[in-house]
Amino acid sequence: MRRALAGWAAFLVVAALVPLAIGGDRYLMLLANVMLMFMALALSWDVVARTGQLSLAHGAFFGLGAYTVALGHRYAALHPLLGLLLAAVVGTAVAAGLGVVTLRLRGIYFAIATLAFAEVLRTVAFQLPDITGGPVGISMPPLFDGDRLLSYYVAGAIFVVALALSLGVRYTRAHYAVTAVRTNETVAAAMGVPVVRTKVLTFAASALVATLAGAFYMPFITHTDPQDAFEVSRSVAALVFPIFGGIYTTIGPVIGTIVLRSFEEYLRVTPPWKEGYQVVYGAVIVLAVLFMPRGLLGLTQRVRAWRS
Amino acid sequence: MEALPQTLLFGILRSGLYALTALGLAISLGVIGIVNFAHGEFVMLGAYLGFWLYLTLSGPLGLGPEVSPLVLAVGIPLSALVLFIVGRGVFRFTLRPLLARPELDQMLLTFGMAILIQNSVVIALSPQALDANLGWRFELIEMPGGVVSVTYARVAAFVLSMALVAGTYLLLARTRIGKQMRAVAQNRLGAMVVGIHVDRVYEVAFGLSLALAAGAGVMLIFSTQVSPFIGLATILKAFSIVVLAGLGNLFGVVWASLLLGVAEQVISQYVPNGAALRDGLFFLIIFVVLLVRPGGLGRSR
Repeated sequence: MRRALAGWAAFLVVAALVPLAIGGDRYLMLLANVMLMFMALALSWDVVARTGQLSLAHGAFFGLGAYTVALGHRYAALHPLLGLLLAAVVGTAVAAGLGVVTLRLRGIYFAIATLAFAEVLRTVAFQLPDITGGPVGISMPPLFDGDRLLSYYVAGAIFVVALALSLGVRYTRAHYAVTAVRTNETVAAAMGVPVVRTKVLTFAASALVATLAGAFYMPFITHTDPQDAFEVSRSVAALVFPIFGGIYTTIGPVIGTIVLRSFEEYLRVTPPWKEGYQVVYGAVIVLAVLFMPRGLLGLTQRVRAWRS
Repeated sequence: MEALPQTLLFGILRSGLYALTALGLAISLGVIGIVNFAHGEFVMLGAYLGFWLYLTLSGPLGLGPEVSPLVLAVGIPLSALVLFIVGRGVFRFTLRPLLARPELDQMLLTFGMAILIQNSVVIALSPQALDANLGWRFELIEMPGGVVSVTYARVAAFVLSMALVAGTYLLLARTRIGKQMRAVAQNRLGAMVVGIHVDRVYEVAFGLSLALAAGAGVMLIFSTQVSPFIGLATILKAFSIVVLAGLGNLFGVVWASLLLGVAEQVISQYVPNGAALRDGLFFLIIFVVLLVRPGGLGRSR
């Protein structure tokens, strides 16, 4: 545990110094900001997966965060940083409500409900133009007047929250509760683990982080619309990064995000992938589930075992 | 404002394709116990097969837009057969190895497959929506008295969907493989004990489920545009129907579809600015059913 924490402290120091290496390049700074944001999203999805649940709503909570900040700014002139707090509260409350209804049931119901939830938020944002701006979307002034160095540290703070959640679930008693629930709910309940409460709390805490990521995205990008904010591709990103890097770990989602998100940046500008770049994510999910269930980490472990 | 009979009729006609799509989903859920998140994408593939057939028949063969009956008569069995074979292959090589693994892995696989199929079509063909200029699409059926007016396409899609649903029920009720499917759905272990080859039944059930999706897809080109992105809306409605009927309740699907179809039509007709409510109805259904009666409205199983 100490080694892991020391390792993550070193990682944070390096991450804090990244802007120095980048210098003034605005594109690379944008990428660095987005990278931290997606790392937080990926880490938050993985925490739910540790309870054996498939969340297809992480993109939706991301969009919910974005809209909360934008609406807070439009109707109450709320500062983006206060908007982050408001979004966190909204996201956690909504997730708790959704979780209480669906997490008492089989995992199938939860997965279906989260997918439906994502689509319904998009529909609502789309169909209520008087409040949300409808298909045109919603805008707000940029965070710190577009200073990407300052925003990088805001994204960094959100990443630290995500990291704390992921490590917290790994190195406290929660780890045993979560693992027991994932392995066998009946046995977990028999051992005295409050199954439903564990799942709901994990989901709510995870949604908090996902909402924060979206709440950061909004003032960073300054404009969004229902199609963009509630894009399914963001839910896909939230789950493909951990799966590729190594599910149920903290380092896996981080590595997965760095590798795949960089690759995506290349694909997005390269024909014929441009519009269908996500085909790679689909393929990664299918192949990883079939042939490397523990992702890159599992692969390196296997190689190490084979060598010795 | 249009009359109530018209609204109800449109709602009922709408529910035909819903039932066909949802039945396929209910079979893979009820018999095999997996959630096929790619079901909507297989409907989409069926639609593209139908569209390709329409182009072939009306273009090179020079039959013009009057090919509608032929597209239905050839397209449905053809795409159903193709996807039946595809379904068996997909099951044998990807899903079967995962049956012993956690549910999360199975759901991730079908979800990944959905993303893979959707974007493969985007790359291989185009993200643009296609519009089939089929003869029946806008032609109205002459009605005595003129109380209601509907297009040939809607009626044909409804009648054929119901025929396929009825045929599937007959298959489940009367044939050997159908009875085996119901047995496996009821009790997997018991089915094994009495000598049913469970893996083979699963494989056929998955093929059947995709064949139904393909049939629904072909009929879809008569009512809407075809694009690589129609899968999501399709599957969400199908999910709400399956949840309403009760997971694994194959026979409740028709009533649940009827309820959704008519409700959607009534809302968009009579509720002012009802579009948001109509398009969000599937979620409301899922949420309320899970809250009040997680087993579905009908008897479970």
